Amino acid sequence: MRTFLSLLLASIFTIATATAETFTFIIKTLPAQMRYDTTELTVTPGSEVKIAFENPDDMPHNLLFFQPGTDVVAVCNAQLEKPEEALKRDWIPTDPRLLAHTPLVNPKGRAELAFRAPDAAGVYPFVCSMPGHAAIMQGRMRVSGAAPKLQDLKFAMYLGAWKTLPDFPTLKPFREGELKDGLVEIKLDDYRNDFGVVYSAKVNAETAGDYTFAITGDDGVRLSIDGKKLVEHDGIHPAADIRAGKVKLAAGTHDFRLEYFQAAGEAEIFAAWSGPTFAMTPLSKWTPPNWKEGAQAKRKDPNSGMPLTVEKEPVIYRNFIVGAGDRGIAVGYPGGFNIAWNAETMALALVWRGAFIDAARHWTDRGGGAQPPLGYDVLNAGGESGLPLAVVADGSEWPRLAKGERATDFKWRGYTLDHGRFPTFSYDWNGVKVSDRFDVAGNGTTDSGKLTRTVKLDGAVPAGALFRLAAGAAQPTGDGAWIVENGTKMRVSADGAKLAGKSLVVPARSEIVVTYSWPTGAR
Amino acid sequence: MKFSTALSAIVLCASALHAADLPESDYYKITTFDTPEGTALEVSAIELLPGDRLALGTRRGEIWTVSGAEAAEPSALKYQLFAAGQHEVMGLAYSKKDDSIFTTNRYEVARLKDDDGDGRADTFATVSDGWGVSGDYHEYAFGSRFDKDGDLWVTLCLTGSFSSAIDFRGWAMRIKPDGTMVPTCSGVRSPGGIGFDADGEVYFTDNQGPWRGACTLQHLIPGTFQGHPGGFKWYDKAPNMGPRPVEPTDKSRMVTERERIKELVPPAVYLVHAKIGNSSSFIVCDQSAGKFGPFEKQLFIADQSASNISRVFLEEVNGIKQGAVFPFLKGFKSGIIGGRMDDVHGQIFAGGSDRGWGSKGGKPFDFERVNWTGKVPFEVHEMHAKPDGFEVTFTEPVDRATAGNVASYSMREFTYIYRAEYGSPEVDDVIPKITAATVGADGKSVRLTISPLTKGHIHELHLDGVRSTSGGALVHPVGYYTLNEIPKT
Repeated sequence: MRTFLSLLLASIFTIATATAETFTFIIKTLPAQMRYDTTELTVTPGSEVKIAFENPDDMPHNLLFFQPGTDVVAVCNAQLEKPEEALKRDWIPTDPRLLAHTPLVNPKGRAELAFRAPDAAGVYPFVCSMPGHAAIMQGRMRVSGAAPKLQDLKFAMYLGAWKTLPDFPTLKPFREGELKDGLVEIKLDDYRNDFGVVYSAKVNAETAGDYTFAITGDDGVRLSIDGKKLVEHDGIHPAADIRAGKVKLAAGTHDFRLEYFQAAGEAEIFAAWSGPTFAMTPLSKWTPPNWKEGAQAKRKDPNSGMPLTVEKEPVIYRNFIVGAGDRGIAVGYPGGFNIAWNAETMALALVWRGAFIDAARHWTDRGGGAQPPLGYDVLNAGGESGLPLAVVADGSEWPRLAKGERATDFKWRGYTLDHGRFPTFSYDWNGVKVSDRFDVAGNGTTDSGKLTRTVKLDGAVPAGALFRLAAGAAQPTGDGAWIVENGTKMRVSADGAKLAGKSLVVPARSEIVVTYSWPTGAR
Repeated sequence: MKFSTALSAIVLCASALHAADLPESDYYKITTFDTPEGTALEVSAIELLPGDRLALGTRRGEIWTVSGAEAAEPSALKYQLFAAGQHEVMGLAYSKKDDSIFTTNRYEVARLKDDDGDGRADTFATVSDGWGVSGDYHEYAFGSRFDKDGDLWVTLCLTGSFSSAIDFRGWAMRIKPDGTMVPTCSGVRSPGGIGFDADGEVYFTDNQGPWRGACTLQHLIPGTFQGHPGGFKWYDKAPNMGPRPVEPTDKSRMVTERERIKELVPPAVYLVHAKIGNSSSFIVCDQSAGKFGPFEKQLFIADQSASNISRVFLEEVNGIKQGAVFPFLKGFKSGIIGGRMDDVHGQIFAGGSDRGWGSKGGKPFDFERVNWTGKVPFEVHEMHAKPDGFEVTFTEPVDRATAGNVASYSMREFTYIYRAEYGSPEVDDVIPKITAATVGADGKSVRLTISPLTKGHIHELHLDGVRSTSGGALVHPVGYYTLNEIPKT
């Protein structure tokens, strides 16, 4: 029993260790997100629950557990009606459904909470009761009993070669039988390829509520509950991708029907379920190695899902961009070309192709962190925050900025947009006015695409000054161009281009025209 | 509206049918505008433009121009995307001279201009990028409108709102018209908005945290220290500011540390935690000459968390700004951040978002407007400190019997611990005696004699028993006066 329970305990969201009847969890706040890092806990009825609550965020938070079914948002928001009183209680509501709570934990602080888990199985919400936090800062503790097994589990085996699940009711079973231990499994007999199985059983929902069923198979699988398809993964594939469906069940027994077919090669089937009173539990003999992770409802990655699309005009996105310093300006050009300009170094930082950038990291929660390009074949043209213009003695390193350092002889002037909304960046360097713009031809995602950069210097250019086209190892192509390799390979071409250490440069002059393209056949 | 229930429980004993039963919305009406499709209009800055238009800056880095929002009966608003892709727009200032919008984004003040008249900005000319950013999300930069000298002010949040990882985090800077950046005040923690009073004095709101027992309204006097020592190291790069001030003593009191640190300016008003709000944001001043109701020249301060606006009366005592804050209007739909007073039409535009920080409003973002309905609320109008008490004026004539009765009032005095730890409880309680309540000859003021007054304390005055001549109770029978200085005369 103990082993079985500890199997149930760990969810992907936490590290829980079961020692006798004690469950220990660490719950942290996520800085800048108004969320807990752990939103799902599972414990057994009557057990000892110990929680270390850590708050690395920059505002105070707490952690309160309530009885099942409590509208925690309403309870917490009700406090705002009488804030004077709530403040005196450190925002701990007086609601009788409150089960246990930490004190208010200041930024960078921690607290410990220990309580006895209720005897009643159920889902106990937890929440931060600081004003305004409850709506998003919450999770749930599942006090979980054992999951009921399948009842009257029968199988019907069919023979046939299929690429997708056949219409079993129109076929004649080859063999039928019962699985007395209530666990779905494949009775292979002599048939290793080209067969199908339909499993039918009753599932007993001990309480009414939401139930989640997870399945996978090698090959196609489909699960129906009470005659309605709930979740399916049809076709020929390995049993890697676990799919789940949620259904509201009334208390009592329900029809369970799992259809499966095997074409050739490996043959596996997996099913599992979770309900209001129990955690995800297998209904099959075989379980994939990742079943616990896979069978959980996947948490949405808050840092993806808002790609910025580029249509006829360039799109500008200024924010923290990985590889473009803390003053990055990304530009997505029509045709799948993208660059990031670094307004600290005044240099071209990145070139990439394909999709532009995903804004979700910065447009979700408080927007912390730096975002990498969304596309591919990213050239790190700027190197490690290298400057664009320098007078460099032979053999010495190309000048760069340390993190947070400002370039004293450069001054950022901003940019202008032309009628097509193409930006021209401007800056000053030692009294020389410099402009830098990019034009596109063809499609960046094909071999024909080309990015043309025009740099103009207005003023007295110091003798020996070099302009850096790209950082990285470079090889001449033999036809006047260079292949630069720094993150990806790019063909770079400009009159007078030459190597200076690990930089491809040209002598600085009043106008520099550079083309950047991905080498033919690179993809 | 929960307001009327809560208020009537506290205030109304005898009659339940007076004006005080009316909700705030009877006096001030909030209009919620539709916002453009396809974006989250997380308004973080608002500015007025010529031709009855507005500019809205958003956390997503967009700047929209809007027409139709100023009309008495707004119908369909017209939105035009003026610029996009800016790194958060926390300040907008229109310059008529340049016909440009000056915007404060995370790392610069820039001048944006529509050169070809298509309604979209073509020039994004950097005016100053002199301050540091370290890549930390909390390093917000809030920008002002132009001050009386033509300068822009920028308040720079601390790194993570705790420390100062890079140049001038935790400072207020001025940006001169030629782009020169002048370090102007240290001691900023996590600013929420910059605004001016009727005399053009500059203020910002700061947020509860280390060295801030509650959110505060801060008077930005050049050369001063505003209270959080996190950015002291940048005095080395600010010779105009003189030597670095003495470090404040932990777990002290503001009134004590003022004696030790000559550069320290106390909060002009504590925006009392939980009672006024938890997350103060914009500051606007009513200079509409009555179009916005009876509170001419007072400040209106928003709170993102509480989705409300409070009202501040300020005065200068012994050379220090101080005054009282009163609840004013709640019920905004999201966490309001950006705001602008439209003095011509007598209305406040407000908008915001609750992203990353919860708000009572509950909606992810909003753009709204507040108008006076024309009905005068019975409210405390002004609250002046006196050597031995306060003089309270009212928006309506008071009933002499109740207003002249000391039993109609109660007062509690408290302060916050000035400490490195986050926030503070209310401490050092004093319950003074109200020894006299004398109604003035004008019938609209009361002189309260109070013993003792406590320098440095917040004086929380309840006026539950005061009635107007028509029998109504006060819409908001409470005010919180921050008594930095006790007047000598």
